[in-house]
Amino acid sequence: MLDNNWAINLGITFTVTFVATFAATPIVANAMRSRGITGVDIHKKSKTKVPEMCGLAVLIGLAIGTIVYCLTMPLAVREATAFIGTVLIAGAIGIIDDLHPLGARTKPLLTALACVPILVLGTYVPYPDIPFYGTVRLTIVYPILIPIAIAVTSNSINMMDVMNGSMPGTVAIITFAMLGILLWASELRTASLASGLLAAMLAFFYFNRFPSRVFGGDTGSLSVGAALGALAILGRIEAVTVVALIPHIMNSFYGLSSVRGLRERREILQRPTELLDNGLLRASNQKGAPVTLARLILAAGPLGEKDVVRAMMILTAVSSLLGVFTYWIMVSVK
Amino acid sequence: MKRILPLAAIEVFVWFVLLLITFVISKEAIEISFGTATLVERIATQTVRLLVSATLILVWLLAWKKVADLYLSRMLFHHGTNA
Repeated sequence: MLDNNWAINLGITFTVTFVATFAATPIVANAMRSRGITGVDIHKKSKTKVPEMCGLAVLIGLAIGTIVYCLTMPLAVREATAFIGTVLIAGAIGIIDDLHPLGARTKPLLTALACVPILVLGTYVPYPDIPFYGTVRLTIVYPILIPIAIAVTSNSINMMDVMNGSMPGTVAIITFAMLGILLWASELRTASLASGLLAAMLAFFYFNRFPSRVFGGDTGSLSVGAALGALAILGRIEAVTVVALIPHIMNSFYGLSSVRGLRERREILQRPTELLDNGLLRASNQKGAPVTLARLILAAGPLGEKDVVRAMMILTAVSSLLGVFTYWIMVSVK
Repeated sequence: MKRILPLAAIEVFVWFVLLLITFVISKEAIEISFGTATLVERIATQTVRLLVSATLILVWLLAWKKVADLYLSRMLFHHGTNA
């Protein structure tokens, strides 16, 4: 099958990934629960124990979806291998981090290495498009920026995975916008891969939404973040992705700057939010507490966890729309 | 949800400043050139372009942080949750 069958291809990738992730999530959850790999849902009075590391189901779904994609579109094997290779390496780092927490500096360094398949297979174009300018020649610098990009996206998504459904919900919105832009840009091969990520996120959101029955863990968040970064590079939509990720960058950048540097979240003793007796959350009033997106949302008064996540998703929808608008500006100025 | 509006406004502000900075980068930083004849010249050109752009991006991040800090302190003060 060739590029002219892209709509069927995109549909197949979406469906297969969705079904595989949806089927794998409860199986992975049961396996984790039986092994005692669980985490406490800290934003609930009941302190429920929820199976951790279920992001493994996302990895399984994406891997199956990508294999099927390669079978239906053999010409895109190189891009697909670079994409899934990056996702799997980031996922492996996530697994290590979930089982034996990594240091605050080690994690970003290791996630930067996830870009190796992109570099080795040469599936990047060192001429990124910048608004108002057009294409910029960065043949020497661009390969150096790739590991940074993967480390930033994976760790930003990781830092957003703090409440029920916040990670898959916001990433699904961003991926939907990216899919639209990739189709608009006629980057059909990358669009098919984006449809796989969208499907995996929708399937995982079903289980991870409030009240969560599964937690993705760092396995899920690091791999999903790396997937976003890989899509941005493969599809040549770097600038647009930065705009769509504004809430996530906001969350991680404020968090890091307020605690003065790279710190593992387990090292930060003061929480950005507090759980009230009535089950609502409120912004911490401690001066040294990290400034996160959740704290900014809650600064206007207490809210339930579900409403905080809804606010995060609305803000992500706004930034994704700005991303689409940015692409429109880029196309118009060209 | 009324509380989202100011945060969405911060997003739009951040986006607008980002576009403004890319405009400045496209008009000034990208024009910096030390020649392209040798590898050293090419590396010097791209490094200086990158440094200038990185500085402008740092300004963008600082402006972003200032606005968010202002929002947070005001909201915590108005809603009586300040320490």
